[in-house]
Amino acid sequence: MSGLGEIAEALRRSTVEVRLPEYRAGGSGVIWERDGLILTNSHVARAERAQVELWDGRRYEGRVTARDPRRDVAAIRIEARDLPAATAGDSSALRPGALVIAIGSPLGFTGALSTGVVHSVGPIAGMGRTKWIRASVRLAPGNSGGPLADALGRVVGLNTAIVNGVGVALPASAAVRLARSGSPPMLGVTLQPVASGLLVLGVDPHGAAAASSLRAGDILLGSSDELADALDAEQEVLRLRFLRGDPRRVREAFVRLAPYAEAA
Amino acid sequence: MTNELAALSDELAAVVEQAGGYVASVDARPRFYSSGVFWRPGVIVTAEHTVRREEEIAVTLADGARVAARLAGSDPGTDIAVLRVEDSAHAPIPKAGGPPKPGQIALNLGRSPDSGVNATMGIVSAVSGVWRTWRGGRLDHYIRLDLTVYPGSSGGVVVNTAGEALGIATSALSRIAGVAIPTVTVDRVVDEILARGRMARGYLGVGLQRVELPDHQKGLIVLSLEPEGPAARAGLLLGDILVSLGGVPVAETDDIQSLLETHGVGSGIEAALVRAGAAYTLTVTVGERPRRS
Repeated sequence: MSGLGEIAEALRRSTVEVRLPEYRAGGSGVIWERDGLILTNSHVARAERAQVELWDGRRYEGRVTARDPRRDVAAIRIEARDLPAATAGDSSALRPGALVIAIGSPLGFTGALSTGVVHSVGPIAGMGRTKWIRASVRLAPGNSGGPLADALGRVVGLNTAIVNGVGVALPASAAVRLARSGSPPMLGVTLQPVASGLLVLGVDPHGAAAASSLRAGDILLGSSDELADALDAEQEVLRLRFLRGDPRRVREAFVRLAPYAEAA
Repeated sequence: MTNELAALSDELAAVVEQAGGYVASVDARPRFYSSGVFWRPGVIVTAEHTVRREEEIAVTLADGARVAARLAGSDPGTDIAVLRVEDSAHAPIPKAGGPPKPGQIALNLGRSPDSGVNATMGIVSAVSGVWRTWRGGRLDHYIRLDLTVYPGSSGGVVVNTAGEALGIATSALSRIAGVAIPTVTVDRVVDEILARGRMARGYLGVGLQRVELPDHQKGLIVLSLEPEGPAARAGLLLGDILVSLGGVPVAETDDIQSLLETHGVGSGIEAALVRAGAAYTLTVTVGERPRRS
C-alpha cells in the first residue's frame, strides 16, 4: 500500500532533466531502462547530443539514438547502469476521469508534481492518428518529455504539449515503439498545409527526398495524416503526387525511404 | 497491485463512463463544439453562450450518432439553452437533491465527436444563496467550481461522485471561476421555455440612477424613458424619483431587477415617486423585456 507521496517520490527518481545548452533548449525525460535508455520528446532532444541530469544530481552526456518528430518522441542513451527505471503502464486502458500524475521540471522547478484526471483520449486534428492523452494537469514549458503516470505510478505517457490549456501526452505505447523499432522513415522535407495540399518549404539535402524530383515550392497532394499513414506503412518506395506550377497537371515523385533505423 | 488511489481513480472513471452516457456534443457555433446533457426525455440543455445559430444545430450522442436538434428556446440571463431532439431512448440524467456543499468533489463532463466523453475534476469551492448574473438572470445558488471548464465543456454537466447532476457548467458567468448553473434553476428555466418558448423577463422601460433625497432617503431618478414603454404609459416622467416599488423601498437598480422577478409580466406594480418635491403613486403594468436581436 503506497500513498501519493511514495508514488510521487518513486516517479521523481525515474524523471530526468534534459538540457541542450547550445540550443537553449531543455525539458524532462523518463528513465525507461535500467541500463541507460531515456525517453523524451523529440522537440526537447533536437540534436545529436543532450545533457541528462538524474534526480540525485548525477550528470551524463547523452547520445540521441532515435527520433520520431511526427509523434514528438526521442530516445537518449547514457552510459549508466542500475538506474531507477520507470514502470510502464498500459496507455490503452486509460479512461476519462482516471487520476493521473505529471512530473517534470516546469519553468526550472525540478521534480515538480501536478495531479489531475484524464480529460479524453483520442486523435487531435493535424496531429496524426495517434490517440493522444489529454489530461487536466497543469503543465508548463519544461514538463515536456516528462512522465504522465496513473494512480499506481505507472508511466502511461510523455507530457508533450499544452493545447487550449489542456495537457497533451504521447501514449507510452508510441514511445515504446520508438525504443523498440528505432527512428521511423522520414521524408526529409519541411511542409506547410495549404488549401490544395502540403506546400514543400524546403528539402533536407541529406534526407530521403533529396534524391527525388521533389523541390521547394511543390505542393504535395493529400493531408498530413495521409502522408503519415503512408510513411508508417513500411514501404520501401513512397509514391508521391504533387503539383508544380500548373494546377491541372499532377506530377509524381518516388522517394526511397531508409528502413527503420536500428535502435542503439 | 492496488491501492486506495487506484481504487479512487477507478471509481472516478466509472462515474465518468456512467454519467457520460447522458452527455452529448453540441454543434451550434462555428469551429468549436460545446456540450449538453439530457435533462428531460428528448430535451438537451446546454450553455446559451455556446449556441450561436438557431438553425442547423446537431448533437452527437454517446453512441456516436449525430442527430439534428431544434432550439426550443434560450435564456441569456442564466446562460441556458434548451434543445429538442427526436430521441426518446435517452433517459434524463439523475439530479442531486439540494445544492452541493463547498469542498465536495465535482466532475465536469463534456463530449467531443472525435474523442468522446471528457472530464475534469475538482471541488465545489463556494456555494451561496440567490445570485444575479452579470447577464441579468437569477441563479438560485451561486456554485463556484475549482475545476477547469475547458471551452468545449461549457454546457456539459457537473456531477458529484455518485454521478448525479449538480448543474450545468459554464465559463461565461464569471471571469474568475467556472460556475455550475444549479439544477433548480435549470428546471425552472426549462419549464418556462418548454411552456412558452422563451423566458419572459419583467421590464419597466426606464433608465435609472441612484440619488439621495434632501431627507437622506434614497431613490432612483428617471434619466430615460422608453417611448410607449410600460413606465411611460403609466405616466412616469423624466426627472421623477422612484422611492419604492410594490411597497418595497428601492435604492439600487438591482432592487428593481429583484422585484421584477416576483412581479411577472402583465401584473400591476405600485410605484411611489417624488415629483417636484411632492409624493405621487402610479400603477405600472410590468411589460416584457424586448428580445435581444
